[in-house]
Amino acid sequence: SASYRVPAPAPVFLPWGPMAAPQALASSPPHTKTNSFFIFRVQLKYSVSVFQINPKEGCKVHVVFSTERYNPEEREGRLGKCSARVFFKNQKPRPTINVTCTRLIEKKKRQQEDYLLYKQMKQLKNPLEIVSIPDNHGHIDPSLRPIWDLAFLGSSYVMWEMTTQVSHYYLAQLTSVRQWKTNDDTIDFDYTVLLHELSTQEIIPCRIHLVWYPGKPLKVKYHCQELQTPEEASGTEEGSAVVPTELSNF
Amino acid sequence: MRWILFIGALIGSSICGQEKFFGDQVFRINVRNGDEISKLSQLVNSNNLKLNFWKSPSSFNRPVDVLVPSVSLQAFKSFLRSQGLEYAVTIKDLQIYHEMDNIAADFPDLARRVKIGHSFENRPMYVLKFSTGKGARRPAVWLNAGIHSREWISQATAIWTARKIVSDYQRDPAITSILEKMDIFLLPVANPDGYVYTQTQNRLWRKTRSRNPGSSCIGADPNRNWNASFAGKGASDNPCSEVYHGPHANSEVEVKSVVDFIQKHGNFKCFIDLHSYSQLLMYPYGYSVKKAPDAEELDKVARLAAKALASVSGTEYQVGPTCTTVYPASGSSIDWAYDNGIKFAFTFELRDTGTYGFLLPANQIIPTAEETWLGLKTIMEHVRDNFY
Repeated sequence: SASYRVPAPAPVFLPWGPMAAPQALASSPPHTKTNSFFIFRVQLKYSVSVFQINPKEGCKVHVVFSTERYNPEEREGRLGKCSARVFFKNQKPRPTINVTCTRLIEKKKRQQEDYLLYKQMKQLKNPLEIVSIPDNHGHIDPSLRPIWDLAFLGSSYVMWEMTTQVSHYYLAQLTSVRQWKTNDDTIDFDYTVLLHELSTQEIIPCRIHLVWYPGKPLKVKYHCQELQTPEEASGTEEGSAVVPTELSNF
Repeated sequence: MRWILFIGALIGSSICGQEKFFGDQVFRINVRNGDEISKLSQLVNSNNLKLNFWKSPSSFNRPVDVLVPSVSLQAFKSFLRSQGLEYAVTIKDLQIYHEMDNIAADFPDLARRVKIGHSFENRPMYVLKFSTGKGARRPAVWLNAGIHSREWISQATAIWTARKIVSDYQRDPAITSILEKMDIFLLPVANPDGYVYTQTQNRLWRKTRSRNPGSSCIGADPNRNWNASFAGKGASDNPCSEVYHGPHANSEVEVKSVVDFIQKHGNFKCFIDLHSYSQLLMYPYGYSVKKAPDAEELDKVARLAAKALASVSGTEYQVGPTCTTVYPASGSSIDWAYDNGIKFAFTFELRDTGTYGFLLPANQIIPTAEETWLGLKTIMEHVRDNFY
């Protein structure tokens, strides 16, 4: 269970409780300098220390957590322990996140996983007749799982772009999917997601366009109905956030 | 409605005759004139098909709702076709109500289904009252569920819990001794209009379905509508917002019905509100960071309850006051309860922590209900032993 250590001298509370930092992590892009990814999920077992530099400046959070594979069917055990520093600049989106993990999955295995996902996507029959993933009862057909995984990844970029100290997002449902044929073997698809924002409880529809090839950076373009202005973000100040190379709004 | 049917199948497996109600449907019939109304009324009153008016005929330009048992579906459809009557089948929101009725019928000495009011769209608000004692106004516990309609695990857990209470009475010492000292009131669907809407139109609908004059947006957040720092922080005055507090406190008839009932009763000791998701167990306040006078005791009880809950499947809950655990929220049910003398006021945010969120798969219903039950019992045991 979570335990919170607050450093002396002054007690400080994180305005949105202990959920804030892990949510930012959970929705942040994968922190590897290689361009492959695997989806990990932040475990609830974490400890959070809060350092408030200056109320006007923002909030720095140190989070220690362990990770497990996103897909619960693939039980390969914990991937490792991670330590992260998350910096929320007051009300600004795109928190800076510095993460180090012990014992990440090795590179070869990661590449294999990437190619497996790629092949699964390429093998999907078009046009995809998708209504919702998961369906209203929470069910995801195993054949649709790769679509969900990739959509989740793309959505996590979008969510990170919008995450602030006070705004935290979850992926509620994928409501449409369309895969495009490409000349260069990339995976190219458009989808619509419903994001759930915690503090306002709003459901935000976003259209996302995603292009991917294993080993290459993910290209994400998006338009959310409730668009946050892409103001100066926390990440650009610190200079050490891993920012996807191509990220833009429609 | 696989979700509901799944629960129903499991809940009902120990009781015979369940199959028949899980096929029941409500037909909404567009009647155009008095002649059509009287033909329909004749058929219903004849009792041949065991029909019932769900919504009685009033005037020609309003549709009539008829409850049709599954065995009569074909015959009734034929009748409608022969009369040239237009109809639509509305959703089976009655399954929970029927199950409540069955529980009361199966355990008449323990359970009674009580109507406490109606929703904006005139659906009944039913609670199950569990009581072993004579006499009005015994110390009581209020279990609230489904106030936010998209949080389906809440209604599901509630109806499972209802069945659990009656099944375990006189078998489980804990619930037996709890019921010896206190009554339990369970409201599984605190927002029936919203619930139907999530099944027919929009799975992620949260609020009530009341009209907002001057706005095209519908509904108010029933958990911002209570008279506890109403319209304070953490609520919105915009009718289009998911946390719109409504025009005034208790403006939502669904909320008012509960408030009136509890105030009239006057002897509630505990109020528990079931929501999803996030796996949190919280106590007042949501409307302010000020510490509740009983915060220490509530925190202790909540931690014990979370521990008991975790003992079933390892599901971890965080514990704390609403405002600093999740976010500020004014006009909430448990803040109202607490400020009105109901000391043991708790909110559960049930499974999960965001993987499926509101769309929790059906195979997690029973595990969630089972673990939550241990948490609820822990709280109720403490209440039992600490009357005030």
